[in-house]
Amino acid sequence: MATRMKLKLKTVFVLYFMVSLLGLIYALMQLGQRCDCTEHDIPKDRTISRLRGELHRLQEQIRKSEATKQPQKPPDRQPTVFVITPTYARLVQKAELTRLSQTFLHVPQLHWIVVEDSPHKTPLVTDLLVKSGVTYTHLHMPTAKDRKLQEGDPSWLKPRGVEQRNEGLRWLREDRRAQPGGDNQQGVVYFADDDNTYSLQIFEEMRSTQRVSVWPVGLVGGMKYERPVVEGGKVVRFHTGWRPSRPFPMDMAGFAVSLKLVLSNPEACFDGEAPMGFLESSFLQGLVTMDELEPKADNCSKVLVWHTRTEKPKMKREEALHAQGLGSDPAVELVDFIQQRSG
Amino acid sequence: MPKRRDIVAIVLIVLPWTLLITVWHQSTITPLLASQKDDRRDGRSNSRNTFAFKESCSLQNRDIVEVVRTEYVYSRPPPWSDILSTIHVITPTYSRPVQKAELTRLANTLLHVPNLHWILVEDSQRRTTLVTHLLRDMGLNYTHLNVETPRNYKIRGDTRDPRIPRGTIQRNLALRWLRETYNVNSSQPGIVYFADDDNTYSLELFEEMRSTKKVSVWPVAFVGGLRYESPKVNTLGKVYGWKTVFDPHRPFAIDMAGFAVNLRLILSKPQAYFKLRGVKGGYQESSLLKELVTLGDLEPKAANCTKVLVWHTRTEKPVLVNEGKKGFTDSNVEI
Repeated sequence: MATRMKLKLKTVFVLYFMVSLLGLIYALMQLGQRCDCTEHDIPKDRTISRLRGELHRLQEQIRKSEATKQPQKPPDRQPTVFVITPTYARLVQKAELTRLSQTFLHVPQLHWIVVEDSPHKTPLVTDLLVKSGVTYTHLHMPTAKDRKLQEGDPSWLKPRGVEQRNEGLRWLREDRRAQPGGDNQQGVVYFADDDNTYSLQIFEEMRSTQRVSVWPVGLVGGMKYERPVVEGGKVVRFHTGWRPSRPFPMDMAGFAVSLKLVLSNPEACFDGEAPMGFLESSFLQGLVTMDELEPKADNCSKVLVWHTRTEKPKMKREEALHAQGLGSDPAVELVDFIQQRSG
Repeated sequence: MPKRRDIVAIVLIVLPWTLLITVWHQSTITPLLASQKDDRRDGRSNSRNTFAFKESCSLQNRDIVEVVRTEYVYSRPPPWSDILSTIHVITPTYSRPVQKAELTRLANTLLHVPNLHWILVEDSQRRTTLVTHLLRDMGLNYTHLNVETPRNYKIRGDTRDPRIPRGTIQRNLALRWLRETYNVNSSQPGIVYFADDDNTYSLELFEEMRSTKKVSVWPVAFVGGLRYESPKVNTLGKVYGWKTVFDPHRPFAIDMAGFAVNLRLILSKPQAYFKLRGVKGGYQESSLLKELVTLGDLEPKAANCTKVLVWHTRTEKPVLVNEGKKGFTDSNVEI
């Protein structure tokens, strides 16, 4: 009985082995017939290979256009522009930061320092910065209650963004101190509010700042533009319609300071107690004198930045709906919940 | 002894099969799987394999856009792709102090979008140098048109609506230009979007509208006195109404920035234009859309109209009191 069993098993094994061998031979033959795959080629397959080809073509094009560009300093040797933007929660915040990030994304060697007027980092700004693609640092510093503008206050009543800009400066000094090069590092610091409009040229103009550079700003000071007046390559006075007797009668968007100067003057910051319009002067006074200013933008004859302001959106119907309990879904992100409380 | 033979036999059987399996695994994914032609990226599908396949396909498309966007950052605009549909962005504009600023930041946004064609229509008698130079220096793919809105529409005494809404004639001119330039039979795929120069657009919006087959819609922030207005979408993914307070019974209660139209649809209905006169406030968009599509044909985008990707921001009119009568600043300096 045992031998019969054994014999049967042996034949089974042999048979199985023969079948396997035949299968293997068939598979190997299939390998050889690679050109015969149109029947297996479904439309999606074709799309994938087409997309891959397109991807390679575009990458080649990018590389070619990069190569034919005028030879300039490789990006990592250009001085970095550190942009300090104070921001606060309101309805249009996400929109403002979105379009600002779209401008900054075009500028090489830019480091965006966003400082929220908030006791903690909000998810709205956190997500936006992550998705933006810009190199950034996310900070926060709340404004003291008595220094904060209340609902209904005119925008000029209290200075805005002071604590936030100072926090940005503090972080920058701390961060850069740890870098090699010490106080001799290359870089430029610019204060960019989130509702202004910046052309791409302004960033290239400011990159060569040695101490403090200045340029015209459009739509500010109750005029089409304010600007420094340049004679013989030096700033002699300021063309402005409002309080021209200030030490530095210009807007926050009209100057940039070299990183070296910021690091070598660790006490220089914005003074929240300064009278209206003197905020910029409170910072620049300790840093530079008028004849040391470097005029940019073609000897201050071109407007490359505009002090635009965005209207507050009308929410009458929203408030009416809220009263009925039918307000639009707050889960749809537009505005931080903190704002909802005061709005 | 028999045990060893058994082992040898088992090894001899298993080895060819493992070889076979590895060979099959390396070849292209078998055609035994899905044959659906459905392009839509919805999650429902018959088998897990087919879904993974479709997703990898749509991911490939997105991958290209992502690679192009992140790698080209300093070369603008992105190189032209032969696969992506062209987005024709129609922007009416008019001279005012903030015009250059608005167009600059809008252009900074548009420079990130691949395969974009900007049609800028000025409300002026002649093309201004400001806009001409701006367009030339930006590097965008553009078309510069102009048509002046007649100031004297009150003559006919149409008291109910004496003035035509701003930008209408300009948008109609752009539509006419598209119809004259592109042939309905041989045109490449294209999408038409009306973008005003003071709104804010996220880059995601342009990718959402690229897959428009007829007319696609999405929410818009800060319109109609609300945080946002949006179309009402049912569980089947179809638009059945409008979530607005201001006249939700309009045929299309949507803002100009809230929809995009496939170019082929525009070309195939050459009579469809924005109605010039006799249009009540808020009915402008309906005047065009009702000629093109019905409510049921609308395609909801932005995650079934739950995400806000465009904001109807408005820029404050700058205070220019210090200019005085004669103008304090040099008028030769362009702002």
